[in-house]
Formats: sequence, structure tokens, C-alpha cells
Amino acid sequence: MGTFLGWSIKRPSNFTKFVALAAVSVALIIADARHRHVATAVDGLLARAAYPLQVLAAWPATTAATVWHDITTNAHLRRENDHLTRENRLLRARLTRLGALTAEVQRLRKILKAPPLPGYRETLAGILGVSSGPFTRQLTLDEGRRQHVYVGQAVIDAHGIVGQVIQVGPDISRVMLVTDPNSGVPVISKRNGLRAIVFGTGSLRRLKVPYLPMTADIRAGDILMSSGLGGVYPAGYPVAQVERVVSDPNEPFLTVIAKPLAHLNHHTNVLLLWPLAHVAGTWHG
Amino acid sequence: MDNLTLRQILTIAATFAVAILLGVTPTPGYAALLRPDWVAIVLVYWCIAIPERIGIGIAWLIGLLLDGLYGSLLGEQALAKAFLAYLALRFYLRLRIFPRWQQAVAVGLIIAASDVVVLMVKSLVHGSPPIWSDTAPMMINVVLWPFLFLILREVRRRARIS
Repeated sequence: MGTFLGWSIKRPSNFTKFVALAAVSVALIIADARHRHVATAVDGLLARAAYPLQVLAAWPATTAATVWHDITTNAHLRRENDHLTRENRLLRARLTRLGALTAEVQRLRKILKAPPLPGYRETLAGILGVSSGPFTRQLTLDEGRRQHVYVGQAVIDAHGIVGQVIQVGPDISRVMLVTDPNSGVPVISKRNGLRAIVFGTGSLRRLKVPYLPMTADIRAGDILMSSGLGGVYPAGYPVAQVERVVSDPNEPFLTVIAKPLAHLNHHTNVLLLWPLAHVAGTWHG
Repeated sequence: MDNLTLRQILTIAATFAVAILLGVTPTPGYAALLRPDWVAIVLVYWCIAIPERIGIGIAWLIGLLLDGLYGSLLGEQALAKAFLAYLALRFYLRLRIFPRWQQAVAVGLIIAASDVVVLMVKSLVHGSPPIWSDTAPMMINVVLWPFLFLILREVRRRARIS
């Protein structure tokens, strides 16, 4: 290829090139895994560059949804409207009762000298993409730093806890699902208050509840609700339902398989939660 | 072996852009299992067709862009795609003369090898064990290769890239 300061330079072989780039990759991976802040700058830049691509990639789905909306018949809309109105009335009726109950709980907690229950502000966020990349399941939301989304924020839907925000860009954010192998949610059993932690398995339909002793009172059908310990997820939202409990005498702990209650497969919108500093005994409906 | 014209470079870039878009288009949960690794297939094709032009460096850069898009660890896809390009360049003479179905299996195998790199990084860093459904996209790659090969060869001939 030529000479440089008396050294003859050859075009690097493929193997040399691969080894060099592999070294750079490994350095990047370690930097990203160990020192999040070092890689965040590069990552943010890439995420910003990728935003138009993501919107473009989501375009067929959003257009299809719009077209479907446009051709839905009047009768269907009227039926849906009726249904929603009825549901709304029902929920409102329940809400008034809930308001009274919340006030009572707060009053009782005051008597017990317990701190008041935290309140939450919710916002609907649209989903740009499900499952980004091979071997990972994440949601990409269309709200970002500009809408005050922050890392570690809880994300729920109408049926339970969806996950938490793990990366925030200017206009988008990424959500780790409760089924992610890295996710752990502190829970209590609704039936008897048994404390446990629910871990993801990587499959969208399966969660596991490890480290429960053989004598733990847990059975199929139990609902596990977030306990609020750990501070990421708000207390009292359903997380999972126990499907199967296997006690193998060779194992030190029970094998508990549960399924997530949030509908992780078919979302169009999810709720982002912001904790409010203090809520007096009022219900924000 | 002349230099590529701008038009030809744009044609190659366009095939990669389409592959990347197909890779990040949102799909329902079960369909994600059947999603082939579009970028890997296109990358292997160009590595076999014009190994002097498309190589490890370009593969690495594309992998880095994918890391940004997928939200995976920075460098994870870059490492896998560089490895994939290395394997493709190592075997491109043999891959060229294989009959189509044998070629499909061989390409599927080297893509699977690069996927194993991704799974290894994931289990090393996150401690997340690979699950069986991870192998589904690897099978789809094999099934789709013959069709994509024909399409990409047509693209290459029309653009007179050699």
C-alpha cells in the first residue's frame, strides 16, 4: 500500500481488522455496562439520529390504525360510544365511593401516625414500537425528556404494571417490561400479604418468583400486587397471577411460575406515573 | 474493479436502509419471533457479492447504528455484525459456488454464529439466559435467504455493481 517513515505499510488483513474492531466493541460494551454516564453521550446522539427512523418505521402501523378508524362504520362507533358511556358511569359511581374510602384511610393513617399514602399524576403515552431488536422486548414511548419523563419511572396499563423507564431521549423513552430478565418487582400476595419479588424470564407470558421457602403459603391463582418497597413501583397495583407452584424436595426453594397481568402484547397506550409529593385526603379523579 | 459511482453507493445504502427499517418496524409479539435478521442477510449478500467494497469496517458501523436503534448495549450489535462480516469474507468463495439451498443453510449458520455472540454478551452482562424461542429467527433466515438472494442479485445487476 505504500511506505510510512521507512516502514512498508500493508493493507490490514481481515482478521486484523476484525480483532481491532472487536476490541473497540468490547471496550464500548464494558463502558456501557459499567459506566453508564460515559456511554450515555454517544447513546443519546445515536438515539437522536435514530428518532426519524423510528417514526418512519412506525408509520405503516399508525397509518393502518388511522385508516381503520376512518372506515369504521357509524353504527360501530355508536355502539362503542354507548358501551364507553355506560362503563364511564359505572366507574364514576365507584370512584365517588373510592374517594370516601381514600379519605377514611388517610384519616385512619393519621390516627396511627403513619405517613400519608403518596398520590400519583398520570399521563397517557403512545407506543412507537414494541420489541426493538432481536432477543429483547422493550417498548418505545413517544414521550421523552421534554415531557419530564425520567429514568426509573413506573409505567402501568389498565390491568397492571407494565415496567419501568430505562432510557430517556429528547422525545422518546424506552421501557423495560416486567418480563425482562433484568426486571424485579417487589410484591405482596393479595390473599395473605406474603412478601416476594417477581422476576422476568424473557418470555412475555412468564414470570418467576424465586427464593420462597418450601413452607411459604402461595398457590395457583394468587394475585401478586406491588408492595411499593424499593421505591420504583407504586404500591397496590397488580403485577402477576400465580400459575403453578412446584415443590421439589431436591431444591432449596419453591419453583413458582406466574403470568403478568398487564396486557404486554397489545398496547396502544400506557400510563406514565409521576409521584406527587403530598396528597391531602382528596382523590384526584 | 473501478470505484463505485455515487448512484451505486446509494443503491447499496438503500438496501441497508430498507433492511434496517424492516428490522425496527413494530410488530405484534408473536410475529417478532418470525422476524428474520434483515440487516444480517443484506450484509452477508453484499459481503459475498463485492467483498472488496463491503467489509468488516462498514459492518461494524452499521452494527453501531443498530445498537442505537435497538437500545441494546453500545457495541453489542457492532461486535456481532463485524464478526458476521469476517465470517462471510472468510468463506465467500465457497459460499458463491454452493447450490442455493446449501448456501442458505451455510449463511443461516454464520448468521446464527453471530447471534450467539449477541446472546453471549447478553448473558454475560445481564445474566439473562437464552431461551428456546431465540432460535426461531435463525430458522427464518435460512428460509428467506434464497428469495432475498434473488431480489438482491436483481438489484445488483440493474445497478451494474460488480
